[in-house]
Amino acid sequence: MEETNETGTAENRDQLFAKLEQINQQLQSERKASKLKLVRHKFSSIVGYFFLSFGIIALASAIIYDSPILAFTGLGLTLWGGLFLFVKPVRYAKANLLNSTVISSLTTINKILTELKYQGQGIYLPPRHLRELKEGVVFVPIRNETVIPQAEDVAKGKMFMNPNGICFTPPGQGLLTLYEKELGTDLSKANLSYLRNKLPKLLVENLEILEDLEINEQDDKIYVKMNGSVYEDLCNNLRNNTDICSRLGCPLCSSIACALAKVTGKAVAIERTELSTDRKTVETWYSLIED
Amino acid sequence: MRFPLSLADMTLWLGITTLLLLITSEFISPYYGKIGIVIEKRRLRQIAIILGALFLLDALIQIYAMLHAY
Repeated sequence: MEETNETGTAENRDQLFAKLEQINQQLQSERKASKLKLVRHKFSSIVGYFFLSFGIIALASAIIYDSPILAFTGLGLTLWGGLFLFVKPVRYAKANLLNSTVISSLTTINKILTELKYQGQGIYLPPRHLRELKEGVVFVPIRNETVIPQAEDVAKGKMFMNPNGICFTPPGQGLLTLYEKELGTDLSKANLSYLRNKLPKLLVENLEILEDLEINEQDDKIYVKMNGSVYEDLCNNLRNNTDICSRLGCPLCSSIACALAKVTGKAVAIERTELSTDRKTVETWYSLIED
Repeated sequence: MRFPLSLADMTLWLGITTLLLLITSEFISPYYGKIGIVIEKRRLRQIAIILGALFLLDALIQIYAMLHAY
């Protein structure tokens, strides 16, 4: 008996050591990666200062020796030095990384909703509806019907379960925060026309998430057409394996729903979403729900 | 001791540099990883626009000087 216990303890110890070794290796690789990043950042600055100092020297020499060639050289070097210091390299991640990073958490949300038998369509509640909360929340009713929970119930916490439904932070909330940061605006103080004007430019030119975005108002519905999204693979994957696209939307659709809820001050639901045959264009109809 | 470049030289330099930077900022889009250089396109364009404005200012000064010369 004692022998079995001892063998078990030894095995546990080995497993623990293996885990510790794994963590150690992970930490070391992370440290190496951060060191490399620091070196790249420093390299850009060093080149910048190098160009800038030689440029200034060339300009000073041009004045002393009255040489136009030195002056042009100095101007060029100073400009490029300034550019290297001011325009620093930025990090870009491959689009397929998005898929791997987000898919498991979205699948988990879908599983939770399915297991707990929440069958309703996600309703995005605006922060105006919830005075205590700055962020929007999504409410999934237990039955397939449009129900808006009491504001005071929602304000109790960011995530709660009650007999009528479940309430949690939407998958697109992070993206919405990024939009607000990039725009330098609190969207709850803006209106729909502001969003229609600014969001396409932000998503296409600045964040480069999409190739084209169209937002149109149709009665009490908002029609959004997204073309060439970086979430293309994720969207296809989610459509094939879960029903989260039609219920809550992918992070991009969800972020637009959050933004619409915030600017209109009304609850928003994803009414219908369609993917084109070439899988490049997503059309989504959002409905605005009056209190 | 004086700066060896005239206003006309500076205008030419600014014009060429602005053009180069604006064209570069348009071409270097990291969208879908089509190019290898990943830099802040927005800042590059800001600099190009500032240089463009300086070029226009230079050109205006020269036009004003030409008109006053006659």
